[in-house]
Amino acid sequence: MTTRFRRMQWMTALGATMTLALAACSGDGGGSNTADDPIVIGISLPLTGDFSEPGKGVQRGYEAWAKITNDKGGLLGRKVELKILDDQSNADRVVADYEQLIGSDQVDLVVGPFSTRLVVPAARVAEEYGMLFVEPAGAAKEVFEQGFKNLFYAAPAVANDHYNHLADYLLALPPDQRPKTAAYAAMDDPFAQGTAYGLKEKLAAGGIRTVVDEVYPPNTTDFGSIAAKIAASRADLVVGGSQYQDGVNLIVALQQLQYQPKLAAFSTAPTNPEFAAAIGNKTEGILAPTGYTQKAPYPSNKEFVEKYTAQFGTPPEEDEANAYTTGQVVAAAVTAVGCAEQGACQQKLVDWVRSNTVETVVGPLSWDATGKPKGAHMIQQWVGGEIQIVLPADAKEADLIYPKPAW
Amino acid sequence: MPSGALLFQSVILGLLLGGLYALLAAGLTLYFGIMRVVMIAHSAFLILAAYLAWWSHSRLGVDPLLSMVVTVPLFFGCGVLLQRLLLARLRPVTLTMMSVLLTFAIAVVIEGLLGYVFTGTQRRIQLGYGSASFGLFGARIAVVKLIAFGLAAVALAALYLLMKKTTFGWALRATIQHRDAARLVGIETDRVAGYGFGIGLATAAVGGTALALDTTIYPSLHWHWIGPLMAIIVVGGLGSVPGAAMAAMVLGLMQSLLQIPLGTTWAQTIFYLALFATLAFRPQGFFGGRLAQRF
Repeated sequence: MTTRFRRMQWMTALGATMTLALAACSGDGGGSNTADDPIVIGISLPLTGDFSEPGKGVQRGYEAWAKITNDKGGLLGRKVELKILDDQSNADRVVADYEQLIGSDQVDLVVGPFSTRLVVPAARVAEEYGMLFVEPAGAAKEVFEQGFKNLFYAAPAVANDHYNHLADYLLALPPDQRPKTAAYAAMDDPFAQGTAYGLKEKLAAGGIRTVVDEVYPPNTTDFGSIAAKIAASRADLVVGGSQYQDGVNLIVALQQLQYQPKLAAFSTAPTNPEFAAAIGNKTEGILAPTGYTQKAPYPSNKEFVEKYTAQFGTPPEEDEANAYTTGQVVAAAVTAVGCAEQGACQQKLVDWVRSNTVETVVGPLSWDATGKPKGAHMIQQWVGGEIQIVLPADAKEADLIYPKPAW
Repeated sequence: MPSGALLFQSVILGLLLGGLYALLAAGLTLYFGIMRVVMIAHSAFLILAAYLAWWSHSRLGVDPLLSMVVTVPLFFGCGVLLQRLLLARLRPVTLTMMSVLLTFAIAVVIEGLLGYVFTGTQRRIQLGYGSASFGLFGARIAVVKLIAFGLAAVALAALYLLMKKTTFGWALRATIQHRDAARLVGIETDRVAGYGFGIGLATAAVGGTALALDTTIYPSLHWHWIGPLMAIIVVGGLGSVPGAAMAAMVLGLMQSLLQIPLGTTWAQTIFYLALFATLAFRPQGFFGGRLAQRF
């Protein structure tokens, strides 16, 4: 069944390629580059399956970018057109999708899918075809250990660097105020673990002792025992390498045990709009790193929030913003280099991105040789029922409160 | 070495968890007792009940416990229909095997429908008293966990009384023990089996509500429950409700305590180790139950 389906797919792909080849031969040669042809951007996204929720967020971000760009006249005077395929959150599908987009559909540019698990195989295809590959997700360090030369992560920082501002802040405290012990609990997931372990490495090197270091499987729903361990350790600070729901569950379980740390930092969960209601509004003092907030003071962000809200009815979140940022990076490169097609143009785009800084909705971005962004995340804190930027000092809306008030 | 306080806290958490396991396993072992059916869909109904509790709380604004007014009779009815219309039609020779396939299909259908209606997003009931707790000799007991345990205890006690003190219970136990003999003394075993199945499914309604109070739910969650529950009923002795309850308490407690040295990932393996040990050394189970000897 599968093989037959596969074969059919291949036949279709082959047929499409031949048709295209014939069409190209009979046409007038370089017909793909005239001013009225749109710039086609190929994307594969997990619109169904495990990652469908964030996948759709990323899709909205790309669509918002295409609309805003086209409303301003497009790129190089040409309209931008998105060609989005659904990879069903499946790593095999994502490879086939990008091969189809680049090989048979002859798209002019490609941008990345969602999640590390899909970014790595997709990037490999893009690399093979020598395409520029800017991606909105895939912050785990594995992504940058594959030797990719065309990949750029369009966000301020990779998972391990999310807490850098907080680590600097804590280690700069006078020794008598500095926390002595820390408890870590992280989901068995490269991204979630990366955030917690990035902070752990820095704090451990700074002399803050690790008293609990728990890893839980992604399907964990009962956090009673993990919370019991953390509470019993009476650690000064607790760090959760969480996605959304596990972070909520862990915080509620800690509160059930009346554990009151001096500092509580959780990744992802606290920045979710439903977070406060989910933990019964007991949010006081909870910290979270954030790559994007609607309140960030960068000029293009204002425009993005305004127009996105007009288009979709709700303000954008981080997934949408990362996709939009990806679009901005590609647009900056295309505008500067002055071309957007397969072939030699792609290497020029790669070289340009590698050596320039791009102004985006998440601030100015630049990359090292592996495509890793050179920034850190802002740190936000829940104060008086509201989440506010507290670090770094030049972007802050309020002062970080340490030790945190009881939750 | 973990501190005494942590051990005590873990014992309490383990007992609270064990209570929930006990209720859920009771239903599962009942099906097997009544008609040698392996009910893979039990935990899918459990998650369905949890979703209905969540839905009635977040969309209709009623307390999740009140959803049982609807779900318990509804599930009882579903159970009766399921037994009479589907399972009773399977050929007795291949009943156990085919029931696995049939109920597997039901589980997948329920999971798919849940995903279709409520999406795959993880859900949690947001209760005002969600993080409330009270102290007991230095340990903390969360109110929601205690309510869940209370529900399980009440439902189990009701099941026990029903089985031991009512004519229907006697008929049900007679049907479990020897179907032909039960029919000879005038018990309508088909109808009794149908009602027995309904009762089993009704425990899933209570269990699902209890589960929804303090954990996250998502459509495929039932796969994480069916394994441990199957292990529990084998360890407890297939078909034995008190055996399943005992095994559930013991394994729940062990899981909770093993999390201290082993962590969450490895503590889950206790169920399967116990299953292996039971099958290897005492296939009839550790807490009564004679049915497994028939294999």
